[in-house]
Amino acid sequence: MPKAREGVSRRDFLKTASTGLAVGLAGRSRGASAAPSHDLVVISGDPAAAAHRAVDALGGMSRFVQKGDRVVLKPNMSFASGPDRASNTHPAVVHAVARMCLEAGAEQVMVVDNPLQSAELCLRRAGVAEACKGLKNTYVQMFTDQKFYREVKIPKGKVLDRVEVLKEALDSQVLICLPQAKSHSNTGISMGIKGLMGLIWDRWSFHSKYNINEALADLATVLRPKLTILDATRALTTGGPGGPGEVVKPNLVIAGTDPVAVDAFGVGVAPWYGQQFKGRQVEHLLAASQRGLGKIDVDGLNILKATA
Amino acid sequence: MRAASQAVSLALFTLLFALANYRLPDWLPADIYLRLDPLLGLSAMVAGRVWVPRVVWGLALLVATVLIGRFFCSHICPLGAVLDFLDPVLFRRVKRRTLDSDRRLRNIKYVLLILCIAAALAGSSLVYLLDPISLLTRTYTLALFPPFVGAVNLALDGVRPVAAALRWMSVATLSYAQPVFYTSLATFLIFAGLIALGRLAPRFWCRYLCPLGALLSLVSPLGRLRREVGTECPACGACQEACPMGAATDEGGTRVAECIQCRTCVAACPEDLITFPTSPRMLPTGTSAHPDLSRRGFLYSIASGVGVGFAVQQSPFTPLQNKQQLIRPPGALPESEFLTTCIRCGECMKSCLTNTLQPTLWESGLAGLWTPKLDLRLAACEQECNVCGKVCPTQAIRSLDLEEKTHAKLGTAVLKKEMCLVWAQDKLCLICDEICPYDAIVFRTIDGYRRPFVVASRCNGCGYCEQRCPVEGDSAIVVAPIGQIRLRTGSYVVEAKKLQLDFKPNPGDDQFILKSEGLRAQPDTEESAGPRAQSQAAPSATRKPKGFLP
Repeated sequence: MPKAREGVSRRDFLKTASTGLAVGLAGRSRGASAAPSHDLVVISGDPAAAAHRAVDALGGMSRFVQKGDRVVLKPNMSFASGPDRASNTHPAVVHAVARMCLEAGAEQVMVVDNPLQSAELCLRRAGVAEACKGLKNTYVQMFTDQKFYREVKIPKGKVLDRVEVLKEALDSQVLICLPQAKSHSNTGISMGIKGLMGLIWDRWSFHSKYNINEALADLATVLRPKLTILDATRALTTGGPGGPGEVVKPNLVIAGTDPVAVDAFGVGVAPWYGQQFKGRQVEHLLAASQRGLGKIDVDGLNILKATA
Repeated sequence: MRAASQAVSLALFTLLFALANYRLPDWLPADIYLRLDPLLGLSAMVAGRVWVPRVVWGLALLVATVLIGRFFCSHICPLGAVLDFLDPVLFRRVKRRTLDSDRRLRNIKYVLLILCIAAALAGSSLVYLLDPISLLTRTYTLALFPPFVGAVNLALDGVRPVAAALRWMSVATLSYAQPVFYTSLATFLIFAGLIALGRLAPRFWCRYLCPLGALLSLVSPLGRLRREVGTECPACGACQEACPMGAATDEGGTRVAECIQCRTCVAACPEDLITFPTSPRMLPTGTSAHPDLSRRGFLYSIASGVGVGFAVQQSPFTPLQNKQQLIRPPGALPESEFLTTCIRCGECMKSCLTNTLQPTLWESGLAGLWTPKLDLRLAACEQECNVCGKVCPTQAIRSLDLEEKTHAKLGTAVLKKEMCLVWAQDKLCLICDEICPYDAIVFRTIDGYRRPFVVASRCNGCGYCEQRCPVEGDSAIVVAPIGQIRLRTGSYVVEAKKLQLDFKPNPGDDQFILKSEGLRAQPDTEESAGPRAQSQAAPSATRKPKGFLP
């Protein structure tokens, strides 16, 4: 009897290799083309589980994050308050998404914001830093110095022609927005597109100089998140953006690649200031859709609704 | 041994300084050096006519000095340590002979001490100018801390590219908030001048000027540890040469009051004749235990101190004390007590989380120099922080828990309509409302636009609105001391309730946006043809909250 040869048989080798190739190709094709089956996914459940399920339903994080990518996560964490007040993204959502990014092979996950209150206090109270403590290569950082920002041109800008953007967001391969669903006494609601203001240096000029709704749409032409995951597990329906105000609990996480569609759907999940609105009624979302940044009418979209 | 003690003490002083920030645990007295200084406590209590339990620590130093002597100056005083450490660095090559006017110069410190105390009796605080611990803490805060942080950031900027390339992101993204203060340069120059005086004599400051040293020297001759020189002393003069305080006299005598027990002379004596025995004895002959200030000099000093202390108050600043635009820290005593109790150490400014606490310049005259005020355009008072009171050694700012501190109303925001973007230019701005922690800004519809108003009973003067107002130049919303609560004793919460103030965030305040049909714009009358006519174009927006379209 010939001794069983050590090592790998030819057949095994071919089998393994082809499987690997197939997986690789499939993964690539999924990432590169093949329109995902759902425009939006709307998952109800607790924050972490719903975020997980939402990303899975969109094809998994590997669709957005490649091995070795540097990822910037932009939650809302610019107020020194905890999740109950619903002015910041739930830390569990941020943690879940950061972990998925790492599992997909991200080299680094930078969780960023440019806070409105003391950076130190925001970091502590928002709970995001605490939640992400155990994650490798994950940094939760407030950038409150101009040296961390770089000016970029806005070729398609209507009212803004240039803006100073966080370098890390410009230099990373992936931007994922993790907005908290909340009311905003100036822009109506504050979700993904409004949340982009946390990536720029001079946010005050949006209020003083420009029409904020147009300026936000302009900003959205240069800051294009690969994925937006809206945390509507709680929604601050009045008193936003900082609260305190009325907090309702839609218990939803809404995710998609179209930032306008995610926000537009988010507008419908809660009554803002006691009234129901459609995405089209939110000025800055309308402006963004008119710039061709996404679909504002969510009725015709392919939406997956599920429970985590 | 002594150098080690000094190094440890200076390191501890510096460490406590560094720890004085909003995270300071309640049990850690970061201001312990200031509390230990009996002169500061004495002056604050006498000048302010208040009882400050915290400064009882100063008694400990007095007692220790009575028992042991002036060891504080040689072993513990951080300013003495700085001077001693810098002396060989700066003046090694300098030959310093005993100053001709040495004896008279020595009296200056007693004159200054008497001046400080007499001024305190007259109700004015002057001690802050000269007390070594206050002076050094202030110098640390205003003059050394900002450039230190700047240098650290510069170094971080230098390694940033390397750190980023190596993906050390914690380093690559690290940058410290740069503290900034008024009077940094002036404070530094005073400090530099004091060091430069060492050119004339070693420990010039301690020998001739330090009022704390003067105070301690009044009790130190009672101490047990006293320098003794053996009878065989050949009067070679080596100890005289070596003594940094000029306490050794000819023929082996000692000016006991001047001796700081540094024992430099023990090492210097070629005959090993100098000892510091512990047994209490009668003062040997040839020693002098008292400052040789003449009775006339003493009386003059008292008179000048009382005179200065009195004269300082006879100025327009006194009647204007509560009528100035000064916003004092939360928990600050009523203004006159505050001015007399505050020792200008700058510890509150150092620890302030947002850097809003700044030294007052001449806004309230000499009596207010270097006292802390809030510069709310620069930064707001963080509502979750109460460190300024915690670190105040004389409790000119009372140490309050967060609930009490929230109710220690600093003032009230006043909206200047002619500058406000919404009122004057119909712009979409809400920053004051967005940032206000207490919903003290509400919007009402006026002339077809939603306009901000301040609800005074909900404003505690934290100043976020003033800081963040995007108007260029002066803020369109400014905190004025209107309605400030300054209590000597008692609860701010109780006082605020009495005044029907409510600093609890009030959810759902924006409901009025929709429910307030009655608050809609009055039908314009004669005005409508004027500049407001334009705004009539947008009345449809009034029924929807801002940001929504019909």
